[in-house]
Parts: sequence; C-alpha cells; structure tokens
Amino acid sequence: MKGAGGHGSPVPFLLPALLIVFAVLIFPIIFSFVVSLFDWPLSAGGGSRRFIGASNYVDLVKDKEFWNSLKLQLGFIFIAIPLELVLGLAAALLLNREFQGGRVIRALILLPVFFLPVVSGMTWRFMLQPRYGALNNFLLALGAPEITWLGDPTFAYAAIIIQDIWRMWPFVFMLLYAGLAGISTDILEAAEIDGAHFSKRLFSIILPLLYPTILTALLLRIIDALRIFSEVYVMTEGGPGMATTLFSLYTHRQAFGYMKVGMASAMAIFLLVISIVFAVTLVRKNMSLEKLEERGGDR
Amino acid sequence: MMKSKVMLFVIVLLAVSAMAAFANGEKAPATAAAMPQRTINVLLWDDPYPKALMAMLPEFTAATNITVNIEMLQPPQVLTKTAISVTNTTTDYDVVGIDEGNVPVFASLLLPFDSWYKGTVYPKTDPKSVTPKMYSIGTWNGVQLGVPINGNLYVWMTRKDLIENPTYMSQFKAKYGYALGVPKTFKELLEMGTFFNENGIAAGFGPFNGGPAGVLSEAVFMWESYGTKFIDFTGGTFKVVLDEDKAVEGMEFYKKLMTISPKGAETMAHVERQAAFAADPKGVFSMFIWPAQIAAYEDPTKSLVAGKIAYSAPPAGPRGQAAVTGAWAIAIPKASKNQEAAAEFIYWWSSKAIADKLVQANTIPARTETLTNPAYASSKPWLPALADSMKVAASRPRFKEIGQVQDVVKKYWIMGITGAMPTRDAVRAIVKETNDILQKAGY
Repeated sequence: MKGAGGHGSPVPFLLPALLIVFAVLIFPIIFSFVVSLFDWPLSAGGGSRRFIGASNYVDLVKDKEFWNSLKLQLGFIFIAIPLELVLGLAAALLLNREFQGGRVIRALILLPVFFLPVVSGMTWRFMLQPRYGALNNFLLALGAPEITWLGDPTFAYAAIIIQDIWRMWPFVFMLLYAGLAGISTDILEAAEIDGAHFSKRLFSIILPLLYPTILTALLLRIIDALRIFSEVYVMTEGGPGMATTLFSLYTHRQAFGYMKVGMASAMAIFLLVISIVFAVTLVRKNMSLEKLEERGGDR
Repeated sequence: MMKSKVMLFVIVLLAVSAMAAFANGEKAPATAAAMPQRTINVLLWDDPYPKALMAMLPEFTAATNITVNIEMLQPPQVLTKTAISVTNTTTDYDVVGIDEGNVPVFASLLLPFDSWYKGTVYPKTDPKSVTPKMYSIGTWNGVQLGVPINGNLYVWMTRKDLIENPTYMSQFKAKYGYALGVPKTFKELLEMGTFFNENGIAAGFGPFNGGPAGVLSEAVFMWESYGTKFIDFTGGTFKVVLDEDKAVEGMEFYKKLMTISPKGAETMAHVERQAAFAADPKGVFSMFIWPAQIAAYEDPTKSLVAGKIAYSAPPAGPRGQAAVTGAWAIAIPKASKNQEAAAEFIYWWSSKAIADKLVQANTIPARTETLTNPAYASSKPWLPALADSMKVAASRPRFKEIGQVQDVVKKYWIMGITGAMPTRDAVRAIVKETNDILQKAGY
C-alpha cells in the first residue's frame, strides 16, 4: 500500500467517494444507456423487455416530432438565456451601488427565483387566460383586443419563454451582482480618472473581469433550461398541438404517454450528449486555466 | 316447568338461526373485532366522486378492520404512477383506478375478476349490477379485469337562466321561428349558441381542447354524430375505418362551434370550462359535462349556476346522437399482497348502500338500479339525462398504443378546428399517421 513517493496509496481513501460517484452519477447513466437498447413497454411490468440494439435511436432520428421538440428546446435556450443574461447584467450594473432602499430592492428582485416552477407555470396560465386573466384585462382597459395567448402556437411559445425569463433572470442577476461586487473599485476608479467613459469601462474592464462569472451563469442556465419541464407542462401541456412540446415534454410523453421506456431513455441519452457538448464547449474552451490566465494577462 | 320452556325456546331459536344462515348460503358475518388489522393502499383519480367516498371510509374500516390509504391524483398522473408503481412482481397499490382507455395498457398486470376473493363482510360484486353500457370498460380481450365504478359518459348541460329568460325567448323565436330551449340537434345548438354569442349574452359553446384523451372524445363525438367510426376491431385486428367526408363534415361543424366559443377556446380544458360555465354569467350557454364533475357545478359555494342547469343527452348530429364514455374501473394488481382486503374494499364501494350514498353526494356510481331509481329523478335531474345518454353511448378506441393515436388526433384536430390547416388535410393526416402507428404495432 505504498505510493510512489513512499506515502500510502490514495486508493483506499478515494474509494468511498468513487463508489458514491459511481452509484449516483455513473450508474444511472449506464443504466439509462442499457435501457435505451431495449424495447421495454412500461405497462407490461418489469419482465417484458426485448433487446433491440440501436433501433430506438434509429426510430428517434426518423421521428419528426423528435426533431420538432429538439428545435423548440434549442430555440428556447437561445432566446431565453441571452435575454436573461442581458437583463441580469443590466440590473446588476444598475444596482451595484449603495442607495436608499437598495438592499430591499435587491431582495425583492430575487423573489421570482423562489417560485416553484409548477406554481409559476400555473400563475402564468391563469394570468394569460383570455377572459379573466390579468394581462388581457389590463390590455382591454387600454383598448387592445382580447388575445388568446396560450391558444396561438407562436404566442404560446413566446409565453413559456417569457415565463422562464421572468422567473430566472433574477438568478443571473444574483450571480453577476456577486461577480461585480468582487471587482476592485480601484481599477474602475483609476479608469474613470484616466477618462474612460462607461462603455469603455464596461467592455474593457467589467465584462472581461466578469467573464468567468458570466460563463458560470450561462452554463448553469443552459443545464437548467435543458431540463425545463413542469412549468411548461402546467402552462400548455405541450400545446396547442405540439407547439410547445419541448424535448423534455416529449421525453415524458414517450415514457408515460406511450409507455416506451427504451425510447425515453434514448432521448435522455441524447439530451445528455447535448449537455456534454454545451459543457465542454463552454468549460473546456473558455474556462481553462490557460484561457483565464490569458485574460488576466490582457488586463 | 319454566326451566324446560326456556330451554325449548333457546333450542328453537338456535335451530331457526342455523336454518336461516343455511338458507342464505352465507357465513354469518364476521365482526370487525374478529378480523385481523390490515391496511391497503389505493390509487384513484382526483374528482368529487372519490372524495365523496373518502368521507365514508370510517364505516368500511369499522366493519372490516381494514384501513384504507387513498392517494388521489389528476388522471394523467394516475396513469404515470400506475406505470411506475405496478409491475408483475411488485406493487405500491392494492387497488388502482384505471381510466377506460388504459385498461388494455395495464391488462397484463391486473388480477382477473374471476380470481378475486369471495367477500367476507361484503358479497362479491355482481357484474349484472353495473350499467350494461359501462360493463365492457372493465374488460379486455373478453376477460373482466376491473369493476366499472362510475357511470361517466357525455351528458349535456344548458343554462336554464338563459333559455327560460322571456326576453331571450321572444327574441330567439322572432329570429329563428322556433322556441328557445335545450338544443336537441346540432343545428339548434349552433343557432342558439350563435344567438347568445352575437348578442353578447354568453358564448354559445364550451369546447374541450385540453388533454389528448379529451380531444379524442370530442372528435369521436363529432364523427359518431356524423355517422362514422374512427377505429374498429374487425377481422382480429384494429383498422382505421374513418369515412373521410363524414369526418371532415364533423370537424367543419366543430370549427363553426369554435367561432361561438369563448376566447381561449383553443386550449380550454376542464378548469377553464368550469370557470366559464359556472363562474362567469357571460361564460358559456351549452356544453357537455362528464357527470363525475357535476358535483362541482351543483355546489352553490362554487357555482353561480347550481340548480339552474338543464341536463339532457347530447344533441343529435345528422346521423343521430352519440354520448362518449369516459368511465373508470377499479382493479387489483396481480402483485398485491392484500388481494383479499382489496377485494373487500371494492365490494363495499360497489355495493348498493354506498352507491345510494354517493348519489346523494351528487356523484355518479355505475349501478343501474341506483342510476334509474325514480326516487332520485327530481332531486338529481342529471340522472334521467344520464339514462338517455346511456342509450346512445359510444366508446373511444381502446388498445395499447392509444396514447400515440390520441396525440395524433389532438395535434391535427386542433389544427383543423382552429383553421391552422384545412380540415380535409387534417383528417387525412390523422388517418395516415394512425395507420402508421397501427402498422408499426403489428395490427
């Protein structure tokens, strides 16, 4: 049990942690992958499953609803998250100073984050109800026509995105505000004395220094947005038609609507691959120590 | 002398009691105290019917020493939870409620009714006690797997405060030439609905465009009323038998109804329908109701129209009436370790005494004698309407892949009735994609 340096081997010390990681992280992924190779109708109980190799993956590729759900999911991510970042950054910049009532405002901004997704979805569903919903009543008072927000495919898709932005931009704000608070005021004051106006300070000092925080926020939001389910489920159930059937909703439908656990597992593996692609792109290429040191050097 | 008379009396009493028990062919009822303490877990759908039952559970526990843990979920979640929790070898529930469409899906996991224990306290449910139109929902491939427990099928609701309003009556008669009332035909439904809608009195119709199962119900309602079936079991297999022209006509008529429906009709589910009909004076004039939900509409604390609803069978289309069934069966998983107690609970629930109490709570048991009891006709006006609907009952197709078919129908039905796609194209897409599903499933 001696290591190369004459010390004891680290394996016994690492083993419990490795076992836990394997049990809670690796095993479910392996299990999902194995299940994805089977035709396993959930309704037939545990015993009735048949090995079919990659057939579930082949069927998925041929399924136009699968591609539709993937398109909707990626669209959701690429529309909602940049807007959340912009809003969160703007609010963080605005509130990164001391003023009367500042603490209260910062605390109030965070409230939507604490909404349960299912409650948020239900609240928005009722708010957008055409006849007795708050939004239409407000618009009607202004003379606008009644709009069937969740009955129109485009409006419904926009509504689930707006709901997500409303609920999650404060989360981005929270991270970026913490990042901003960590930037030394000396640097900013020195730049100001040197005559750098706000946009110069923003693009040359603040954003580069916030870069790791922005990437962290981006990564966390993408991972979260890939899993979005309950709020959309209660708001639209994927409708009208399939207009808001995001990837996660379609996976759920495969598993519990069609009882095809193998197919749902194949979709889960597909989602995992997408998540890894996002994570690798963001973390490996932008958050490596070399990159961060490079950026530090630039400054 | 006195002693021998007492002895004689006791002997005669014992003999009479023994003969009476023998004549009945039943054991003397066991007392609860003599029975072992047992607990069963029950998974049911969430609506006023199981809720009314819950209030009666202490009576069952007192009689049987069986404690019942009831878990109620929204119907889609009942399906999900059953799929996860019930397998061939294990089950979290001893009794499960199964929507009629899903009986084939779980058939292999359920204990056939013939194998259920004979009741100790309550006699085994007589299948003949169940309304005939409802009996088949608990069966699959000719085997009875569950006891149909609610008489749930389309009943029509019309607001009496609107059709009995003298001003509206005279205005309608002047315009259309016949009396305002409960719509008996699709033509009347459209004209009366249009009258109320155009005059800003109320929306003319309350569609259901929520979950896929409900949308399929509306499609089947229209298609059957226009004289075509959707899927039939013929020649030992399932086939799409939808007549394209009739299906298009049905969809076109529903599209017209959508124009006199409230805003947001494209996504109207039960919550919105109830809010529109029962809580908004300008809400909805006439629409179908699942009788299982009537209790909420007739609750004066929740509904503005309690006691003001006219019930009838659905209006007739060009080829007649159709009332779609949507009942639940209760069943025992094969893997249950408490099959005897589970059966006892179901026998109690489906008994006449409980059915009578459930009717009093404005809910709809499946027992024929309760539904047709004339004593309830005046105080529960939906019961005669229910009996009329039973005569024209129509079922949705049932097979394992129904979930996929429902999604296809929902997608193209909504597109057709909202004008997002020509109705003929929508019907063709439904036929094509349903055929693909059936073919892939090996039918």
